[in-house]
Amino acid sequence: MSSSTEEITNLISQEYKQGFVTELEVETFPPGLDEEVITKLSKIKNEPDFMLEYRLKAFRHWQTMKEPDWAQLNIDPIDYQAISYYSAPKKDSDKPQSLDEIDPELLETYKKLGIPLDEQERLAGVAVDAVFDSVSVATTFKGKLNEAGVIFCPISEALQEYPELVKQYLGTVVPETDNFFASLNAAVFTDGSFVYIPKGVRCPMELSTYFRINAANTGQFERTLIIADENSHVSYLEGCTAPMRDENQLHAAVVELIVMENAEIKYSTVQNWYPGDENGIGGIYNFVTKRAECRGDNSKVSWTQVETGSAITWKYPSCVLLGDNSVGEFYSVALTNNYQQADTGTKMIHIGKNTSSTIISKGISAGKAQNTYRGLVKVGKNAVNARNYTQCDSLLVGDKCGAHTFPYIEVKQPTAQVEHEATTSKISEDQLFFCQQRGLSAEDAVSMIVNGFCKEVFKELPMEFAVEAQALLGISLEGSVG
Amino acid sequence: MTAQHLNNYTEEYKNTANTLPGQSLGWLKTIRAEAFEYFSDKGFPSLREEEWRYTNVSAIEKKLFSAQLNLDESELDKQWLNRFRLEDALTVVVVNGRFSKEHSNLEGLPDTISVLSMTDALDQQPELVEKYLTKAVSNSEHSFVAFNSAWFSDGLFVHVPAKQVLDKPIQILHVVTQADFLATTRNVLVVDAMAEVSIIETFVGGDDAYLSAVVTEVFVGENATLTLYKMQSEGDKAYHFGGTYVKQQRDSRFTHHNFAFGGLLARNDIHTDLDVASECDLNGLYLGVKRQHIDNHTRINHEKPHAISRELYKGVLNQRARGVFQGRVIVAEDAQKTDSEMNNRNLLLSNDAEVDTKPQLEIYADDVKCAHGVTVGQLDEKSIFYLQSRCVDEETARNMLTFAFANEMVDKVKLKNLRDLLLLQLLNRFPQAGIDKEWL
Repeated sequence: MSSSTEEITNLISQEYKQGFVTELEVETFPPGLDEEVITKLSKIKNEPDFMLEYRLKAFRHWQTMKEPDWAQLNIDPIDYQAISYYSAPKKDSDKPQSLDEIDPELLETYKKLGIPLDEQERLAGVAVDAVFDSVSVATTFKGKLNEAGVIFCPISEALQEYPELVKQYLGTVVPETDNFFASLNAAVFTDGSFVYIPKGVRCPMELSTYFRINAANTGQFERTLIIADENSHVSYLEGCTAPMRDENQLHAAVVELIVMENAEIKYSTVQNWYPGDENGIGGIYNFVTKRAECRGDNSKVSWTQVETGSAITWKYPSCVLLGDNSVGEFYSVALTNNYQQADTGTKMIHIGKNTSSTIISKGISAGKAQNTYRGLVKVGKNAVNARNYTQCDSLLVGDKCGAHTFPYIEVKQPTAQVEHEATTSKISEDQLFFCQQRGLSAEDAVSMIVNGFCKEVFKELPMEFAVEAQALLGISLEGSVG
Repeated sequence: MTAQHLNNYTEEYKNTANTLPGQSLGWLKTIRAEAFEYFSDKGFPSLREEEWRYTNVSAIEKKLFSAQLNLDESELDKQWLNRFRLEDALTVVVVNGRFSKEHSNLEGLPDTISVLSMTDALDQQPELVEKYLTKAVSNSEHSFVAFNSAWFSDGLFVHVPAKQVLDKPIQILHVVTQADFLATTRNVLVVDAMAEVSIIETFVGGDDAYLSAVVTEVFVGENATLTLYKMQSEGDKAYHFGGTYVKQQRDSRFTHHNFAFGGLLARNDIHTDLDVASECDLNGLYLGVKRQHIDNHTRINHEKPHAISRELYKGVLNQRARGVFQGRVIVAEDAQKTDSEMNNRNLLLSNDAEVDTKPQLEIYADDVKCAHGVTVGQLDEKSIFYLQSRCVDEETARNMLTFAFANEMVDKVKLKNLRDLLLLQLLNRFPQAGIDKEWL
């Protein structure tokens, strides 16, 4: 195995491909956070009064809170006063009206990332809202969406144009008092996406957002709010990248999904924030609160996530199954390498009758990384015939990494059926030998086995992203086999 | 915990401290003093602690249990006690936290093997006790352990020297008869290399509220075998805390059978540390009715390579009962080739019953085989239908299947007498319609 070990080591040490910095003129607030900063921020964004109140309320509550420390994570203390809470490409005095007006350097950035905005319209019909540091840069494909009645725009724009709609739903799934990072986000979020699918509409294309942290010393706090009204359907994708820097940057997002009767939201994430170098220096702290509420009967939410980036991930996309017959799904691949740490999982809260949920979680841990699955399945007293199936498997690559499983199962209903299964193992030498004996290199064999391990999750991703996810996995794992 | 409630206990302790055994032993006094300080500082565990999030012990705090003895033990109903006595076993009876020579029976014990009350052991073999006491669990594990170290009034000390095999099982029968009594006992079980023994802990008590807080420290030597049984059939209003902490040396085997039947609030901790190529097998059955709350907590610590652990816990919850299972398997960095399996199965029989389960794997090594599984559910409708199609009415069919579910754990017990006793306890807490005791 020694020769293959070397190959694998080479493989693992592949660099972060999205680690470039874009030289742009940016307008950035000086670091620090107080009520004045929030007021200023709200003013710049020209927000309605209720938003400022909401932000200040959240901020006041946040000041009384402590950072959570229950996760299986080692977090260096974060100085929240050293972060700048607003950073925007400077030329936003006259906001771009079309793609032509966008800073070509910015467009170049997105090209490097593989999302050529100007080609999007010709591509398979993915409408992209790109968030660069704190502001939303461009939304493609607006015309076609308008025709269908779908609202897909930056949340800052939604606050201008549909304040009533935002006010009605914002913070109803993740209240501003929810947790430390959600409160912080509520106080300082600068942009994000807003999606509203009207009754009976099946969104004609996949919606997509790309997030990128570019400026140094800034935090990114985006807020996504998606509402699927009765009988509607939408599939939404998000992707994230950041440049390589040797200090840690904070990303604290909040995503709220609201699903009405017979509606369905499919939310996919490919998270590839900068994970830090092989010594664990730098990288993004990814502290995200994601929650979906199935408010109507027969509604459905499906979370799919591929987490390969970030120095630290703290993320639990949840489903509150309120409506009868509602369905929650969670498919996750979390890969950690070097000194990365991930504490991720889901919460399935069964409240309505005949609700069902599925959790498939695949954790891959390599190098000196720690990978934790933490999930809650809660069946309330009235959730008659609730059904849950959970499977979480961990794959260990290398003898210095860790894989942990912490499921919480709380059942108050005798007709509920809850199953949980977990296994942890390494890639067996037999499997490797078998593949190599058939002419595959050790590297290809590992890649194949890992891809097979994750297949259940990848098949839930939209096509283009499945390909990207596989490639990402290959890159992140390179050199880790032994 | 409010300061007032804590004070009740600490004041009470000052009155009892000098009646506790081992007054002349300096090292023990130090242990007790340290433990008392830890407890005074921390109080009883609160729901905010992760290990206690499903079990609220505030009732214990508020109710002052007292270790002051005011009953004559002759009032003990011998006939009642004999129901729990195993015929062919060596029996040590501890009544209200103190060893009772009158009720105990150690006839036929080989001279080489020590089976003593803790008081006698501290008197006769203090060096040996010192070598083991607080070595399997430290006072800072949590407040109940510290509480036990400070308060313990007696217990069982077993020492089986190397290569000795004891044919008869040893039974410790723990009885509480006094209302509002605080019975705190400490057991130390030492099985040296290549020795073999079976020990049964039995907990019974009266109908009044009382608290029994027991800590058992177990040391299994190289290639030794210990089978430990625990039958907890405390009174309906009783509070029970039981902690079993095991240190296993290489190639040793430790099997535990844990039956939690009684008590209003019962908490049970089992921790085992595994050395190279040792094995542990943890079995448990918890049966909750009425307003019972039964919490089971296990921790298997794979510290060294090649060890094997198996765990199966089953729960049946009826009426307003609540069951908790928290199982944790930790595989240390160099514990390669670890093989671990953990399973928890729960049956909920009523609308008001609840189960909270949390099986955890923490793995820091890569060449391991670890799995865990949990199910929460109800009886299989197809099985019920099958029995109905064979002319069994539905109620009977349900009872039979429920019984079969629980009986799997009783069936694993190898001692015939104990199995019969367990079956009786099991059936007493079951809807029996359709189950004929004669068949079993």
